[in-house]
Amino acid sequence: MSDILLQAENVGIRFGGLQALEALNLTVRDKELCCIIGPNGAGKSTFLNVLTGTLRPTSGSVRFLGHDIAGLPLHRIARLGIARKFQIPSVFPSLSVEDNLKVARWGAPSPVRPVGELLELVALTNRAATLAGELAHGQKQWLEIGMALAIEPRLLLLDEPTAGMTPQETLATAEMLLRLKGEFSIVAVEHDIRFVRALNCETLVLHQGRRLRSGPFHDIETDEMVRDVYLGRR
Amino acid sequence: MIARDRNWLLIFAVCVALAIVYPLFADGYQLTVIRDALIFGLFAASLDFFWGRTGILCFGHAAFFGIGGYIMALVTLNDAIPFASLLGIMGAVAGAAFVAAIIGYFLFFGGIRGSYFTIVTLAMGVICQQAAVSWSSVTGGDSGLIGIPPIEFDLGGLHVDLSQDLPSYIFVSAIVAVAVLALWSISRGRWGTVLTAIQDNEVRAAALGHNAPLRLLVTFVLSAAIAGLAGALYVCMAGLVAPDLSGLLLSTEVIVWVAVGGRGTLLGPVLGAIFIQRAQQTISSFNPSLWPLLLGCVFVIIVFVLPDGILSIYARLKSLFKGRRRAQ
Amino acid sequence: MPPKACSPACANASPARPDAMDFLVTTLLNALTLISILMLVGLGLAISFGLMNVTNLAHGEFVTVGAFAVYFVQSMGGSFWLGLAAAPIAGAVVGCILEFAIIRHLYSRPVSTVLATWGVSLILQQGLELTFGLGAKPVTPPIEGTLDLLFTVYPAYRLILIGIAMLTLLGVILLISRTSFGLDIRTVIQNREMAEGVGINTRRTYAIAFTFGAAIAGLAGGLVAPLAIVLPQMGVNYLANAFFVVIVGGVGSIGGLVAGSVFVGGLTSILNYQISPSLAQAIVLLAAIVAVRLRPNGLFNGASR
Ligand SMILES: Nc1ncnc2c1ncn2[C@@H]1O[C@H](COP(=O)(O)OP(=O)(O)OP(=O)(O)O)[C@@H](O)[C@H]1O
Ligand SMILES: [Mg+2]
Repeated sequence: MSDILLQAENVGIRFGGLQALEALNLTVRDKELCCIIGPNGAGKSTFLNVLTGTLRPTSGSVRFLGHDIAGLPLHRIARLGIARKFQIPSVFPSLSVEDNLKVARWGAPSPVRPVGELLELVALTNRAATLAGELAHGQKQWLEIGMALAIEPRLLLLDEPTAGMTPQETLATAEMLLRLKGEFSIVAVEHDIRFVRALNCETLVLHQGRRLRSGPFHDIETDEMVRDVYLGRR
Repeated sequence: MIARDRNWLLIFAVCVALAIVYPLFADGYQLTVIRDALIFGLFAASLDFFWGRTGILCFGHAAFFGIGGYIMALVTLNDAIPFASLLGIMGAVAGAAFVAAIIGYFLFFGGIRGSYFTIVTLAMGVICQQAAVSWSSVTGGDSGLIGIPPIEFDLGGLHVDLSQDLPSYIFVSAIVAVAVLALWSISRGRWGTVLTAIQDNEVRAAALGHNAPLRLLVTFVLSAAIAGLAGALYVCMAGLVAPDLSGLLLSTEVIVWVAVGGRGTLLGPVLGAIFIQRAQQTISSFNPSLWPLLLGCVFVIIVFVLPDGILSIYARLKSLFKGRRRAQ
Repeated sequence: MPPKACSPACANASPARPDAMDFLVTTLLNALTLISILMLVGLGLAISFGLMNVTNLAHGEFVTVGAFAVYFVQSMGGSFWLGLAAAPIAGAVVGCILEFAIIRHLYSRPVSTVLATWGVSLILQQGLELTFGLGAKPVTPPIEGTLDLLFTVYPAYRLILIGIAMLTLLGVILLISRTSFGLDIRTVIQNREMAEGVGINTRRTYAIAFTFGAAIAGLAGGLVAPLAIVLPQMGVNYLANAFFVVIVGGVGSIGGLVAGSVFVGGLTSILNYQISPSLAQAIVLLAAIVAVRLRPNGLFNGASR
């Protein structure tokens, strides 16, 4: 019980007339990897925003290490050990790749990994001096993952980390996450079924803001209803 | 990056060398002209430190210059205060920083950036000038305060008396050089890099653990403090303080100095201040109301023709030249 | 030389009768005068700053141009009313040229817009000074004298001013809610891409809306001319106050505009009796900043557009 890192209970959120999320539960244990999938507009990003405390749920609660984090300033949340990668790649375009990572390290209370190691981890060593704005899309995604790693998180939340990547890059990303899995907990939001299959972890399927299914990925993959949703039959 | 730093230091060294040899060729009057221009150069550098690094434009920076000037004047004109020059400078710096801290706190932590910030600081400048005019029992109203004594103090057995042209020129040049160098090292190191990151994407920087509003606030306060210092120096050199030292026209001019000299370079604005003031004196001697008209035109020209300042002409020529060579 | 333009507040009439009721009504009417002017000036700013995201620092000059239009017409022997008709036209002409020559090229460069419009503002000020010479310009109101209201006597012209301002505002509300042009504006504001998708020419709509706001500000300048000190530099105070109105009231609704004007105008008028105008202005600025800190989206956020 004590190894529960993040616990979302009965989370719901309304935007005006739209019930964007309803009665969602999620428990993330220490050093656990889990995925959230669902069609466009299912509420994945919104759920991630609630999990990181950026959005305050209209009902239910989110606790990180037992503390309510809803509504804390962003930098405080980061310093608690929650890192995230945004859906739109958001690196600092006018800084070099190296400076991007440095800025990330400086934000951490106690950074461990040196910049060189981070560069290696995300395979950008030979682009260290390039302006981040000039990177290819996939490289930006990697850089952003590297920045999230730099703050030495306890929990890493990734919003569509492989969007815009080639199939090879996608698999490489999955491998990287599997390698990091032993160090901290990871929650990944993803569209790409191949990526989730490669991770092969606990998966939550969202549909119109509700839980459709949850369980190990191979159970989810064979589920009729999930297929229907993805193929647009529902 | 390293090459850019080296270039900057090179230009800085050339400027310092020029400042050192200048007294050999100039008479007393010319020295005082450059000295006063250098003070405004320091003022321009203070604005550039904030605007250049954060991308947020302060449209009332003269308010801090004026606050510094008035505090310095009030302290040094009061016979009861000992060590008036030193206390006056400290008071000027602290006063400007204090006002910036209050306004900045509400704005930055209230999530106000960009145009909103520009507008509020514009209003702040307008109000400061009005206050200087109408609070006449303290500020001397429209005509300001006159008879401010030159800076004079003892520091560790060294007696500094700036009533003469040459000592005051040396003193001001030294302060400007040290301040610009200090601002530069702050803005190219860790502090400046994080500010650039905040300018690029504030939410991202915050999500990495950076307290963006606090950092902006501290930068703003530092910038205002330097502006206050410049104001204090100026009134002692000029011997008087008047409402237009905190006015909108000066706020506007300092923006032009920075924009023409090259935003974000710190040295460019100092040079911009010196050269534009020369131009201003020449033009104003024909017709005083011609200058604001020209200033207006300069604004429009900068925006449409030279968005990166005069120095960018050189860079553009260079890239043009390189492009040619590559084409051959 | 500091601009000694009259702040909108110094147009206050001093109370003639000492009793409390009289004081109250006079203060109220003074506040109403200021609020009316602020609403008219703020309207154009709410359109450009609030909705188009254009920081136009030359907005105050529309007011100046309106006031000078009245002065010019009067000095040529025309009546005040003719001048007042010319004021919005003058504002619109200047606004239209500004939009066409400068602003539309800078929609994606906010800081450049600030600099360029400030440059235009300086050019206009000096242009007026070179054309009309130094010094304040006299403008006489169409009616001298006062009107005896039950509790106080009040300058008749000010009552007319309030009336015209209210009618104008009513007209604007009708225009935006009832006409097809108003519908275009609302659509463009709500979703620019969608508006383009359904075939609305957003550039044209912006240009017309901007010019319209300039015209209303010009009208405000014409209205205030007999009360204010007409100088080329008079615009900046209106600029600052109108920005407060928009910032405090929030953007996107007439309700916000009214709320912001009442806040800024009301506070200024009340404070003006107690303290010097510039201190009053400083307090209004601080109050506006605090208000923004507490309600970052404006006092009237969430109201229907
Ligand atoms: N701030 C907001 N205000 C109003 N509605 C919102 C807001 N944020 C999200 N929504 C709505 O909530 C729903 C869920 O959006 P969300 O971005 O979470 O979906 P998603 O699953 O991440 O989709 P995608 O795969 O496209 O990223 C959508 O219908 C969206 O329009
Ligand atoms: Mg999403």
